[in-house]
Amino acid sequence: MKIIFIILILSSTYLWAQTDWVRWGKADYSYQQKDPSFERNYSIDSQNLGRAALKSFADAYWILISDVDGDNCSFSPTCSNFFVQSVEKTNIVQGTLMFFDRFTRDMDIFGKLGQYPRVPDGHYYDPISLYTLNPRKIKYIPPPAVINNE
Amino acid sequence: MKSKLENIFLLFIFILLTRNSFAQDYLKKQFEYADSLYKNQNYYDAITEFKRLLFFDKYGEYKYQANEMIGLSYKQGAKFSDAILYFTIAEMNARNNDELLESKLLIIRCNILRRTTSHAIDLLTLLGNDKRFADEEKEIFYWKGWTYIFADEWNKASQEFSKTDTNETLSSLCKKVDEDKYSVAFADAISHFIPGAGQIYTGHYLSGLLSLGWNILWGYVTVNAFEANRVFDGLVVGNFLWLRFYNGNLQNAKKFAEEENLKITNKAMQFLQFNYAGLKP
Amino acid sequence: MKNLIIYLFLLTSFSFSQNKIPVRNINLFSPLNIKIFGDYLFCQKDYLRAIGEYQHYLTMASNDTVEFKIALAYSEMSDFSKAAEKFAAIRSNSPFYSDAEMELMKSLFQAGDFFEFRKNFQNVIGKNSTAFSKTISLYNFSFLLTNNPLPAEQEFLGAFPKEDLAKVKNFYEWKENPPEKSPVTAAILSAIIPGAGKFYTHKYADGIWAFIASVGFAYLSYDNFHAKHYFRGWLFGGLAAGFYAGNVYGAAASAQIYNAKIHFDFVSDLKSFLDARNYFLPKFKFCK
Repeated sequence: MKIIFIILILSSTYLWAQTDWVRWGKADYSYQQKDPSFERNYSIDSQNLGRAALKSFADAYWILISDVDGDNCSFSPTCSNFFVQSVEKTNIVQGTLMFFDRFTRDMDIFGKLGQYPRVPDGHYYDPISLYTLNPRKIKYIPPPAVINNE
Repeated sequence: MKSKLENIFLLFIFILLTRNSFAQDYLKKQFEYADSLYKNQNYYDAITEFKRLLFFDKYGEYKYQANEMIGLSYKQGAKFSDAILYFTIAEMNARNNDELLESKLLIIRCNILRRTTSHAIDLLTLLGNDKRFADEEKEIFYWKGWTYIFADEWNKASQEFSKTDTNETLSSLCKKVDEDKYSVAFADAISHFIPGAGQIYTGHYLSGLLSLGWNILWGYVTVNAFEANRVFDGLVVGNFLWLRFYNGNLQNAKKFAEEENLKITNKAMQFLQFNYAGLKP
Repeated sequence: MKNLIIYLFLLTSFSFSQNKIPVRNINLFSPLNIKIFGDYLFCQKDYLRAIGEYQHYLTMASNDTVEFKIALAYSEMSDFSKAAEKFAAIRSNSPFYSDAEMELMKSLFQAGDFFEFRKNFQNVIGKNSTAFSKTISLYNFSFLLTNNPLPAEQEFLGAFPKEDLAKVKNFYEWKENPPEKSPVTAAILSAIIPGAGKFYTHKYADGIWAFIASVGFAYLSYDNFHAKHYFRGWLFGGLAAGFYAGNVYGAAASAQIYNAKIHFDFVSDLKSFLDARNYFLPKFKFCK
C-alpha cells in the first residue's frame, strides 16, 4: 500500500508543483452543486423597435414551443438563439442568411461528429463569430476540444 | 581516573542533549511563524514556511505536523488533491495512533469534499476493519454519513447518522431531504401516461399544461388523418409533431424533477455549510 | 584510557560534522540559507516560491547565477514575457550574459513578440557567435509566423541542418503559397450549383444538404404553383430562396473558416516540429 503511495507521490511531483505556479488564496468552496441546465434570456430590449419585435417573437417561440418540445438542436447556441444573436451582431438581412446556413448545417444529423468542438453538455459549439464574414473574428478551435464557456 | 571518564561521558551526553534542545528551539520558532501565517489565512506563504521548516528539520521532528499543516493550507485553497498528497506524507510519518487516525481522517474528509465517494467509503471501511481503531466506530459512521451527503444519497446518509445516538440532528435533516425530494422515476412514469403530469407534479404548471395541449392537438390531428385515410399526413404529423412534443414532455418531466431536487439539496447544503455547528469535512 | 578519550572526542566531532548546517543558532533567513532553500525549491520545480526566495536573497547579496535562475524559472513556468524581461536585465559582465542573450531570444519567440525578437537578433549579429548560430533558425522560423515578407529561399534554408531541410522546405513553400480557399470562388460555385461551394471547402455533407434544401423547396414551390396552391407555392418559394441565399453566404463563410483551420494547423505543425527538435530546451543543469 505504502509503496503505491510513494510511487504516486514521486510520479506526481511535477503536477503538484504546478499548482503553486500562480499565487492563490483562500477559496470559497461551496458545498452546493451548480445547476447544469442553461438559462434562457427572455429579456426584451425596448430601445429598438425592430429588435424588440424580433425578440418578442423569439420569446414566444421559446415559451410556447421550444421549451416544451424537447432538446432537438445539437448546436450551442441553439438555432433560435443563433438567429437572435446574429441579427443583434449584424443586421436583419445578414442574420437571416446566417440562420438559413446554420439551419442547413443542422440538417446534417450524421456528419457533425469531428467537425465541431463541443461544450460540456455535449452540444456542438458553433458561435456567431465564425460566420460574420469578418476573418479577424474567426477563432478556430479544433474539433476534439471541449469549451467551457463562450 | 574513573570519575574523569564519567565526567567525559556526562559532558558527551550533555552536548548531545543541548544540541537537540537548540535544534528544537529554532525549528519551533519557525513552526510558530508558519502557523501564524496559516492563522492569518495567508496559505500560500504558510506553505512556503512549512516547506522551509521541513527543509531545515534534519531530524524529522516536524515531519508530521508540517506536512499536515501544508495539507490543511491546500485544503483551504480547495486544492484537495494536493492536500491529500501532503496528508499522506503526514500519515507515513505519524508517530502514534492518534496522529495516524487524524491524518487518515483528513484524507477521507478531502475525498468527501471533492466527491470521490467510492474512495472515501473504501478508506472508511479499511479504517473500520483496523483493530487499532476499534473504539472509533462513531467517528466512522459520522464521516460515512457526510460522504453520502456529498454523494447526494440522503437516505443512506440518514441511516449512517442514526447508527449512533449523537447525530440526531443530521439524521433527521437527511431524512427530511430524502422525503422532500421528488421522484424522478415517478415524474417520468406519469408523464408517459398523461403528458404534462410530471411537470405539474414538480410545480411547473404552465409548462405541463402547454405540453398537454400540444399533445392533445397533434394527437387529435394524427388520429383524424388516419381515420380519414390520409396516411401520409398522419405519419408526418405523428412523427414530426406529436412524437416531438411527446418526447419533449418526457424530457421536461425528468429535467424539472432533477432541477427541483437540486434546489432542495442545495438548500440543505447551504444550511450544513453555514448554519450547522458540528464538525464538517 | 587516552585512547578512549580520543575515541569519544572523535565520535562527538563526527556526529557534528554529519550536519552540513551548523546546529546552534541557525538563522533560517540568513542569505546563505535563503539561497540554499531557494535552490531546493527550484529543483522541486516549485518555481514561483524559488523566485520569491531568490528575490529576497538578492536584496541582501548579489549573485549572477541567482539572477539567471530567476529568469529561467519564469521560462520554465511558460511565463515568457516575464522571463524575457529578466533575461534582458542580466548585465554584460555576468558569466551568464551570453546564455541570457540566447534565452532572451527564445523567450521573446515563445512569447510571440517577433518584433523584439528580430531587433535583438540584429544586435547579436557579429557580437555573440553562439547565440547567433543557435537562434538563426528561430529567426527564420519567425517569418513563418508573421505576415512580413519571407527571406529568399536559399538564405532561409541555409540556417538548417540537413536532416531538417525537407520538412523546413515544406513549411517555407506552404507559407509562400498557403493553400487557401477563396470565399468569392466558394460563393460563385454555390450560386451556380447549390452546395458546390461547400464541396470546394471540403464540407461535403453540408453541401449535399444545402443542395437538397434549396432544390427540394424550389421543387415543392413549383409543384404547388402548378396545382394552383398559391399560398403554399409562395411559402415554399420563399424558403427555397432563403436556403439558396443562405447557401451562397454560407459557402463564403465556410471558405473563411477553412482558411482559419489550415493556418491553425500550420502553426501547430510548426510548433510541434520546434518542440520535437528541441529548439527551446534549456540545457542548464542546476539540478541533479
